Amino acid sequence: MNDAAVKGQFSVSVGGFAVKLAFSVEAGRVLVLFGPSGAGKTTALRTIAGLARPESGRIVIAGRTVFADNDGEPPCWEPPHRRGVGYVTQQNHLFPHLTVAENIAYGLPDRRSDSAHRRVSHLIDRLHLASLEDRRVSQLSGGQQQRTALARALAPSPDLLLLDEPFSSLDMELRRALGVELRSAIRELNVPVIMVTHSREEALALGDTVQILEAGRVVAEGPPLHVLEQPGQGQVARLVGVENLLRMRVAARLPQDGTMVCQAGERALETPLADGCAVGDAVTVGIRASDIILAAGPLPQSSARNTWAGVVSAVELRPPGYEVALDCAGTILRCHITGASLDAMGITAGQPLWAIFKASSCFLLSE
Amino acid sequence: MRMMFLSAGNGNRGAALGALAPAGVAATVIYVLFIGLPILALLVRAGQEEGFLAGLTGPLVLQALRLTVVTSVISLVIVVVVGTPFALLLARQGSTSRLLRVIDTFVELPIVLPPIVAGVAMLMAFGRNGLLGPALASVGVAIPFTTVAVIFAQIFVAAPFYIRAARIGFTGVDPAYEEVSQTLGVSPWQTFWRLTLPMARPSLLTGATLAWARAVSEFGATIMFAGNLTGRTQTMPLAIMTTMESSLGAALALAILMLAISALSLALLSFLLRRRAKASP
Repeated sequence: MNDAAVKGQFSVSVGGFAVKLAFSVEAGRVLVLFGPSGAGKTTALRTIAGLARPESGRIVIAGRTVFADNDGEPPCWEPPHRRGVGYVTQQNHLFPHLTVAENIAYGLPDRRSDSAHRRVSHLIDRLHLASLEDRRVSQLSGGQQQRTALARALAPSPDLLLLDEPFSSLDMELRRALGVELRSAIRELNVPVIMVTHSREEALALGDTVQILEAGRVVAEGPPLHVLEQPGQGQVARLVGVENLLRMRVAARLPQDGTMVCQAGERALETPLADGCAVGDAVTVGIRASDIILAAGPLPQSSARNTWAGVVSAVELRPPGYEVALDCAGTILRCHITGASLDAMGITAGQPLWAIFKASSCFLLSE
Repeated sequence: MRMMFLSAGNGNRGAALGALAPAGVAATVIYVLFIGLPILALLVRAGQEEGFLAGLTGPLVLQALRLTVVTSVISLVIVVVVGTPFALLLARQGSTSRLLRVIDTFVELPIVLPPIVAGVAMLMAFGRNGLLGPALASVGVAIPFTTVAVIFAQIFVAAPFYIRAARIGFTGVDPAYEEVSQTLGVSPWQTFWRLTLPMARPSLLTGATLAWARAVSEFGATIMFAGNLTGRTQTMPLAIMTTMESSLGAALALAILMLAISALSLALLSFLLRRRAKASP
């Protein structure tokens, strides 16, 4: 059985807006649909759940075809309540007239049976909701509501779990804690998961694979670290928020070091050697703000190949830390540092600093 | 509708218009007296009137009471059974379908239409010489001046109160809840019973109570379309008018009974809504 637990491809159109998606997820794995709002992420989830009807394609969940509409075969359509898909919406939509325990039990076929009671109490323990069973959902905190919604979706043992921005209403602290819980619950239950988010941190923390959506199309797909941290395309880099995108020209190739030198005005830096780049070619170089080290002076002994001198032009709060804009002879470099470092170095606007980064932190983007 | 008053702002924000407080107090006193005095007078006169106790157990009063309860309950059941799916359709599709928007506008017409006009209109439709009269007569059915006509008249005037409240209640249930319910393996039909109906319950109860109260007090359409036949079409409001001419005691007995029914239905509604409110603070 190396077949994916869930797979499909479809095109759906809602209110004139078309979304095309092809996906496959194995049990216990998480596919993240990442993209800006309006990219079609939620429409994709609703289509898989059976709440929107695609024009064409096929969706297979745990070996059952729940939707098929292709030329030359009889169409097939399973309504949402026969798909076995757990769906946690962005606003949770907990039922306000029921208690926490009643919400969790809602989808169980025989709610008064012993096995249903056992299932509910297992989920209540598993998701740390003990002592809240009899509360109304309006009495719960954001995190408790989130966990109740998750428990309710998991109770009927779905063959697929869909999560729409599961942590959007929670603060940073809670997001981390819930993310860890969710990860272990997914492993334990061995259920395939498709999760929608526009947070890079969530995608990195939870995703096994990421698909980047823009305007209803998948523009990139792959492992999160690769796609989100060092994307190969300029379009993707902008979508995932790569902080530094520098337009430069290849000045020299150094095959013996495996690097090449790129230049823009007086500034030069070394990047990994790329095939198909000749001296004089225009390139876009991406550098993540978190890959740049700030120092009060040039480090005399360092493996980092790039050291730029600059002047601090702005410091902004950027949770969990700060973003420092360093003006390096007209080129602005954005660097992320922690609050502790900001304090220790006493960084303020106008202060001269050095930016130090490895050649391997610089990646080339195709436009 | 009562719900809205109950749930409207609990905070103590009275201070902003504090200068108007004396006017408010005066208006309240005037209004309470205006409503309270006639009701008090009714109770006092009933206690003084010799024929009151005899009237209370007299055959005329009991017949009218029984007829009113039976017809109004049948009317309410029909209004709820037909009005609920209708209100749900209005709530879910009312904004997208032009035809439904037009229908929606006319749903409340019977509330503002004088009941006597409703009675005339129903005669024109179902009367012996009405639009459907000959067709009905040919299959041996005659509606006017029967108990069925009483029920027709009550449904005509009372249904909008339920439909309006139910539509407001169903509109308040975000369809996203119904979608989530279905992804949990619950069929659309079960979703309606287990989710939509309980969530809209306060509005449905309010609407049903108002509609029932309206059916019980129906007079104009009934006397025009159903007549005033003792035991068959003479409901309590009609019996009050009839007995006022002959026996004040019986009329007062009927009036007190109707007052009690009205007060009880209000108390019952408020109890049901409070129980619900307590369950979900």
